[in-house]
Amino acid sequence: MKLTFRDVYVAYPGTSTPALSGVSVEIVAGQRVALVGRNGSGKSTLMLTANGILQPQRGTVLLDGQPVRYDRRGIAELRRQVGVVFQNPDDQLFSASVYQDLSLGPLNMGLSQAEARERVLRVAAQCGLSDLLHRPTHSLSGGEKARVALAGVLALSPRFLFVDELINDLDPWMRKRIVRLLCELADAGCAVVLATHDWALVRAWAQHVIWLEAGRVLRQGQPSAVLAGPECSDLESAPC
Amino acid sequence: MWLRVDTFAYTNRLSTLHPAYKVGISALALGVCLAFDQPLTSALVLGVMWVLMVGWADIPWRAAARLLTAESGFLLGGVLSVALSVGDVPSGLEIAGLGIRVGVSAASLQHASNVFLRVLGSIAALDFLALTTPVPDLLELLRCLRAPEALVEVMGLTYRFIFVLLDSLERMRRAHDVRLGFANRRAALRSTALIGANLFIEAFRRGQRLELALRSRAWSGSLRVLPRAYTHPFRR
Repeated sequence: MKLTFRDVYVAYPGTSTPALSGVSVEIVAGQRVALVGRNGSGKSTLMLTANGILQPQRGTVLLDGQPVRYDRRGIAELRRQVGVVFQNPDDQLFSASVYQDLSLGPLNMGLSQAEARERVLRVAAQCGLSDLLHRPTHSLSGGEKARVALAGVLALSPRFLFVDELINDLDPWMRKRIVRLLCELADAGCAVVLATHDWALVRAWAQHVIWLEAGRVLRQGQPSAVLAGPECSDLESAPC
Repeated sequence: MWLRVDTFAYTNRLSTLHPAYKVGISALALGVCLAFDQPLTSALVLGVMWVLMVGWADIPWRAAARLLTAESGFLLGGVLSVALSVGDVPSGLEIAGLGIRVGVSAASLQHASNVFLRVLGSIAALDFLALTTPVPDLLELLRCLRAPEALVEVMGLTYRFIFVLLDSLERMRRAHDVRLGFANRRAALRSTALIGANLFIEAFRRGQRLELALRSRAWSGSLRVLPRAYTHPFRR
């Protein structure tokens, strides 16, 4: 199972500069991928395109070798396979209680209430949310909200999970907990793509790194190869 | 105060009781208050509601008392106009030059106290519902009662957005405060206007981002969620 971007161009309406310009990458099931690059380099756009929220003006997105169809059925299928967790959990939690929020995806997939309930309980246990199921979402801490946002996407059982800087604002303990969870997901065969600015984490966690610069892939490959060179050592040197 | 009411709604002993029972109790109490114009009946309803809130639902008595006191304060302002009589009031004050006497008579005082107790009894009935029933449960009940789905969804999103926007408001207020945005009356007025305008824009942005997130979770236009598992005291 793989998700392939082949020479993909994406521009937002009303802008002349494309947010993604000829991006070609391949993400394989079970892979741990880090997406790095400056703010505005196209990381979030790549994620939205992977999920079918944005449609490429040129190029192709292929799911398991088949071009993605952008009709209703094709989009629904794509979203079952490719999940996106956004940076700010507050933008994703729509329901007043954790239990109800987690149930949105499974019910949208057409599962019965019993199946949806089973899935909600499973992802809640997986993300350590079993005790919080009936808590109102507005009363959760930042780390808890991040886990609920992640669980809400995992409830769709995606095979490709894109996580957009979700862990950036979390304390080290919660970060570790979420990163460990992402490792478990990858071990279970789900491809995890994590957009982050934390290079130490990238070196320790990722198997493959995609470095975007102004909407283009600057480099990609193993962390030791991609995060080498004078610009990397300059960034990682002492600031003063 | 509002946020604390919301917290009690989730943490009280009756939070898992099916909302239909709580709405039923509240409606019955409200109906009794409105149907019987007797101060004793109203006082009885007030007492029963107090026992249900503090005794049954385990709401701290101080919190319940503070809520009722705050509401009584508003109520007193309204009842004052009922207590005041204009015209034939022997002990009243005469408004100079107009020949009108304003004062309090025994009858008007009795009428005002009746109104006060009646309204306070009704408010206590609604407080019982507000303090024991989370808003999502009320929405779930509306769904069961076949209220229009779109209406229930809008109510749910509005409820969720109240907290998101309150959070944004607090962050904006702090950001202005640290830059002396509330240092004097003129600055405070300007900051308040700016915060109001920004909050309006923020609400739109949040809405857009929420829509993106919903779409990424295979949203098809309807916010279908699982109902909670409630307890039913009379069902085995």
